[in-house]
Amino acid sequence: MAKQVLQCTVNGEPVEALVQPYTTLLDALREDMGLTGPKEGCGTGDCGACSIHVDGKLVASCLMLAMQARGKSVRTIEGLAAADTTLHPLQDAFVRHGVPQCGFCIPGVLMAAAALLEENPRPSEEEIRYGIAGNLCRCTGYTKMVTAISEAAGALASQRSAR
Amino acid sequence: MRRFDLVLPQSLDDCLKILAQRGDQAKLVAGGTDLLPQMKNGVTRPKVVVDLSGIERVRQIHTGNGQGLRIGAAVTAREIELSPGIRGPYQAIAESGALVGSIQVRNLATVGGNICNAAPSADMAPPLVALEAQAVIAGPKGERRVPLADFFTGVRKTVLASDEVLVEFVVPAPGAHSGGQYLRHTPRRELDIAVVGVASQLTMANGTCARARIVLASVAPTPVRATAAERALEGQAITPALIERAATLAVEAANPINDQRGSVEFRKHLVRVLTRRTLITALERANA
Amino acid sequence: MSTMKTTRDVKGVGVSIPRPDGPEKVTGRVQYVADIPAKGLLHAKLLRSPHAHAKIVSIDVSAAKALPGVRAVLTAKDIPHLKKKAPTRAHAVLAIDRVVFMGQPVAAVAADEPSIAEEALDLIKVEYQVLPASIDPLKAMQPGAPPVADAGTEADTSEALAHSAVAIAKSEAPAKAVNISQQARLQRGDPAAGFAQSDHVLEKTYRVPMVHQGYLEAHAVLAEWDRNGLLTLWASTQGSFNTRSEVADVLGIPENRIRVIPVECGGGFGGKIRALCEPITAVLAQVTKRPVRYVMTRREELEAGMPAPQVIIKLKTGVKRDGTLMALDAETVIDSGAYSGAVLAVSAVFLGSMYKWPSFDVRGFEVLTHKPSVAAYRAPVAPQTIFAIESHMEQIARDLNLDSVEFRMRHLIAPGDPMVNGQPWQSNGARQVLARLAEHPHWKTRKQWIAEGKNGKKRGVGLALGGWLGGLQPTGATVRLNPDGTLAVLTGQVDIAGTNISLAQIAASAYGVDTDLVRITTGDTDVAPLTGLSAGSKTIYTVGAAVLQAAEDARRQTFEIAAAELEASVHDLELADGKITVRGMPDKGITLATIGKKGNLYMSKTPPVLGKANPAFTQQAPGFAAQLARLEVDPDTGEVTIRDFVIVQDVGKAINPLGVEGQMQGGAVQSLGIALTEGLMFDDNGRLTNPSLLDYRKLTAADLPNLETIIVEVPAPAGPFGARGVGEPPIIPAPAAIANAVHDAVGARITQLPLNPERIALAVADGNGHR
Repeated sequence: MAKQVLQCTVNGEPVEALVQPYTTLLDALREDMGLTGPKEGCGTGDCGACSIHVDGKLVASCLMLAMQARGKSVRTIEGLAAADTTLHPLQDAFVRHGVPQCGFCIPGVLMAAAALLEENPRPSEEEIRYGIAGNLCRCTGYTKMVTAISEAAGALASQRSAR
Repeated sequence: MRRFDLVLPQSLDDCLKILAQRGDQAKLVAGGTDLLPQMKNGVTRPKVVVDLSGIERVRQIHTGNGQGLRIGAAVTAREIELSPGIRGPYQAIAESGALVGSIQVRNLATVGGNICNAAPSADMAPPLVALEAQAVIAGPKGERRVPLADFFTGVRKTVLASDEVLVEFVVPAPGAHSGGQYLRHTPRRELDIAVVGVASQLTMANGTCARARIVLASVAPTPVRATAAERALEGQAITPALIERAATLAVEAANPINDQRGSVEFRKHLVRVLTRRTLITALERANA
Repeated sequence: MSTMKTTRDVKGVGVSIPRPDGPEKVTGRVQYVADIPAKGLLHAKLLRSPHAHAKIVSIDVSAAKALPGVRAVLTAKDIPHLKKKAPTRAHAVLAIDRVVFMGQPVAAVAADEPSIAEEALDLIKVEYQVLPASIDPLKAMQPGAPPVADAGTEADTSEALAHSAVAIAKSEAPAKAVNISQQARLQRGDPAAGFAQSDHVLEKTYRVPMVHQGYLEAHAVLAEWDRNGLLTLWASTQGSFNTRSEVADVLGIPENRIRVIPVECGGGFGGKIRALCEPITAVLAQVTKRPVRYVMTRREELEAGMPAPQVIIKLKTGVKRDGTLMALDAETVIDSGAYSGAVLAVSAVFLGSMYKWPSFDVRGFEVLTHKPSVAAYRAPVAPQTIFAIESHMEQIARDLNLDSVEFRMRHLIAPGDPMVNGQPWQSNGARQVLARLAEHPHWKTRKQWIAEGKNGKKRGVGLALGGWLGGLQPTGATVRLNPDGTLAVLTGQVDIAGTNISLAQIAASAYGVDTDLVRITTGDTDVAPLTGLSAGSKTIYTVGAAVLQAAEDARRQTFEIAAAELEASVHDLELADGKITVRGMPDKGITLATIGKKGNLYMSKTPPVLGKANPAFTQQAPGFAAQLARLEVDPDTGEVTIRDFVIVQDVGKAINPLGVEGQMQGGAVQSLGIALTEGLMFDDNGRLTNPSLLDYRKLTAADLPNLETIIVEVPAPAGPFGARGVGEPPIIPAPAAIANAVHDAVGARITQLPLNPERIALAVADGNGHR
C-alpha cells in the first residue's frame, strides 16, 4: 500500500505528512506528528480520550481516517493554550481545582470543555455535564471538573468584556 | 485495523465509477462511526475504502418553505440535531439525531451511515420512516427512489447494491397540525444505544387523527411499523384510553430478542411505555 | 495566569495544594507508555483463545511468519524454559497444551506496524479440541464439574496478604470439590439456638457480577534489552518492584538484571498490581533484539483483563422483634476466574465483623471457573460484601419498623470489639461517620423531600456504611538536604492517587520548611528504596510514615550540624524560614543552604544530610465511609436519577484536603457504577457478551450530580499526623445505599447488581417487591 500525502493545518501550523491510508487521524497525530496529547482509551468512540477539534467541531479522532482531515484545520490539546508559557483559563482552573488525577482523560475533557464554551459561553451545570458527557473519567467523579469549567467560563467572559 | 486502500473521489460520478469496478470489495465511509469500530473488531475487512467526505452533493440540507425536506446522506447527526429547519416541523428527526452517541460522535456520524448500517437500533430510522421519507439512491443507471420503510431487508441489510450510493433523503412536509416525537430507552444518558426506540407522528384534522405513524426500533431485525396501532388511531379522536389501546397493539407488533441489552419481557414493556409517551407528546405538538 | 499560590497560612500538612504535575497534565505533555518514542520500535499483538476450555491440538505459524513486516511469531514451544509447575496467571505466558479462559494468549507476534501484526494473527492456524467448561461458580463448586486448575496447584494468596493483612484460620476441609481453591469457616456460639429464639428470620442471596476496574489507559508496556542482557521495562504499573519480582520469576532471571521504570499510570485501581503483558513483551524484545511495545485494546482489557471477582453471598439472619441480634449464617462464594487469588478472607471477616453478632457461622469459598482470573479492584470484595450486609440490615430495620441509623448504631462495632477472627478492631471512625451522616439535612428531611416528588417520579433516600481495614507493607524513603536549602525526597512509590504532593507536605511539616521547597522523586527499581504497591489505601499510611521518619531523621542530622556550628545545644535551636537560630538570639544562626553546601564541599568535615527510614508496620488503621443517596425512579422505565449524593469519610488527618476530596468523589462514582450500570456479562460458554465500552457501561458526567464530601478526622494512632488511607473506603457503600434508596422509592428489594432499569422496571411491574 502506498502512503498518501495529508495536507492540513494542525494547531495553527500547515502540515504535510505521509500517512498510510489505513491510519486513523488519532494515530497520525500521535505517531507521525509527535502530538501525543490525544489518547486512545477505546478506539471505538466510546470514551472521548481522543477528542480534538476539526474545523472547530469536537470529534473523536479515533473514528476519523487521517486522510479525512485533508484541507481541514485540526486543533489538539497542545494547541489549546495561546502560547507555550501560558495556560488557557480552562487549563488554569483545572490545575487550581485539583482536577487531574491520573490525567489520561484530561486532554479530551479540556477539548470538550473548550468546544462547549465556544458554543455556549455561560453554560448551566446541566449543560456542562452534557458537554463533557462523551468523556469518561474513572478517577475524579467529574464534580471538580464541572466546578472548574464553570469558573473558567466566568473568567473567559470577563476577559471578553475587558477587551 | 487491517490494511486497506483508500480512494478519495471528489464527485458523485467519480465515486460511482470506482464502485462500478471495485464495489464488491469496497466499503463506503462518511463519518466512520460504525464502519471503523466494525473494522477494528474484524467484523468487516474491506480491501478498499471509499471516502465520501469530499463530495459536496451528499452534505447539504434543504429545508424549503413547506416544500419538504432534503437531507444529504452525509449530513451529520449534530447538524440535524441543531438545524432550526428540522427542529421545527420535523422535530422527531432532530430528536433522534441528538441521541446518537456523544457530541464527539455526532459531529462525525451521518444520517446516511446510520441508515445504511441498518442496525435494528438505528435511531434515525424510526422518525424518518414515520415521516414517510424516501431514500434517493444513485447508481450506474441513474437515480432511483425507495420509500424508507422498504429500504431495510434484515439486520445490517438494505436494498443498496454494491455499485450504488445513498445520496439523500426526501421528506414530505407533514402539514399543519402534525406533531411527532422520538424517544428511546437507554441505561445511561449519553454514549448509549437504544434498548427500544419509538417514533410517533400524528397528523390531526378537525379533532380527529388523519394519519398516524408509529415506528419501533430494536424490537425486530429492521424498524417496524406498528400498523395495527396506527389503524386504531386513524379517523378517531385521540383519548387516553385509545392511546393505551394503541400502545398494546404496538407491543403486539414487536418481536424482540433477548440479548445483553435487554430481555424480551423488558423490551415489550418499554414498547408500551414509549408508545404511550410519544403519542401523548405527538398529540400535544400536533395541537400546538 | 496561574501562579500556583494556594490559600494557606500553614506550611504543609492540612493544606489544599494542587498537585505539581497539574500543568503537565492539562497541556498533554505528561508521557504514558504509549507516548514514549523508541527507535526501531516493533508492535506486539497476541492471538487469544476463542474457547473457554479447550485442548490445543496444533498451531501452525508458518504463514504468519512469512508475512512481510513480521519480525517474530512465538508459541509456547518457543519458550520451553518458562514452563512452571504451579502457575499463576503471569506464569502462563503463552498457553502450553490447554486454554482455561476465552481470551487466554496462545501466540504472540511482533511486527513493524500494528496493522501488520493484526493481519499476522489472522494467518495463525490453531486447532482446538473444545472441552466442557465451568462457567457458573455454584455449578463449578459441585463434585464432577469440569476442572479448571492443573492438579496440585496451590491457591495463590499473595493478593490477600498485600491488601488486607487479615489473618484467618484455615477451615477443616470437607470433601473438596475440584474447583474450590480456598475456603474458610468462622464460627462463634450456637447459631441454631439463636435462630430458634428469633422473631424475625430473613434469608436472601446477593449477587454482584465481575466488574472491570475501568482505568482509561489500557495495560501498556515497552520492553528493551541492552547488549549486556539487562532488561528495561517502561510499564504502566502500580508497583514497579512487584512487577520486577514477578517478571524475574516468570523469566527465570535475577531481579537485578531488570529495571522497571514506572511511567505515569493512567489509572490502576488494583488492575495493574500484577504482571500481565510484561513477560511476553520482554520475550518478544529479546527474540527480535528490538524495543517492543504492547498496548492492550479495550476489547482485550474487557475480555482478558484481571477484573474483580463475581461474588454471591447468602445471608440468613435471626433477630428479635425489638431488634436484638441473635444469629448470623453466611456463605460467600467468590468466583475468581481461572486462577486463584481473591481476598476471600476479607469477605468472610467483614460479614461477621461489622455488627456484633452473638453467634455466627460464616463460610467462604473461592471457586475457579473458566473465565479471566481476577486481580484486585479498589477495596477488593468489600463493595460486594457490604452490599449484602447493608442491604440486609436495612431490610431488617424496615421489617421491624426500626430507625435505620439507630438500629445500626446499636449494633455497630466499636474499637476494641473482636472481629470474627478474634482480632480486635483497631481505632476507627465508623460510629463518627455514621453519626455525621445522620445529621445531614438530606437525611433529616427525607420524608418531606420524598413527599415533594412529582411528574410521576418516585423518590427515595438510602444510606449505607462501609470500611476498609487498611493495607500494610514495608517500605523505605530518603530525605536529602540540597546545597541550596531545598529538600529532595526519594521513594519508589508510584504516584497514582496524587500522593506525592501529600508526601511532600508530610516531609515539609516534619522537617520544618515550606512545601514549595520539597520535591518528591519517584525512582525506578534501580534507584529507589524497596517499596510496595500503590494500593490497599496504604500509601500515606506507610510511605507517608517512612517519609515522616526520614524527614525527622534529616531534621535531627541538620540540627546536630547546626548545634556544632553554633556551639549550642540542639534543644536551644529552632528552624524558621530556612534558617536555624539559637532561641532568643536571632542573629546567631546558620541557614539550611549553608549547611547543605558544607556537606558537599571539597575537604569538608560536614557530612551531607541524608535522612532515611525503612519501616515495617503491624498496626492497621481502618477507614470508614458512610454514603447517602437521594434519587428518583421512573417507575415505568426503571431509570434512576441521582439528585444528591453525600460521602462522609474518616481519613484520620486530611494531609491534602483537595486530594482527599478527589479520592472520595472518584471512589464514589466507581461505587455508583457497580451499583447501577456495570457488569461483565458472560454467556453459558464463557464468552463475554459486552466487550466494549458501549455495553460495559461506566457512568458519564450527565448521569451524576455534584458529589458532596464531608471529611471526618479520627486520628490513627500510628498514622503520619494521624492520617489513615483514603483510597478504598469511598468505593464501598454506594451499592447498598442505592439499593436502599430504590427500595425506599418503589418498595422493591433488589439483591442483584447492577440495579439497571430493567431490574427495577420489572420489579415494579411485578409488584411483589422481591427480585
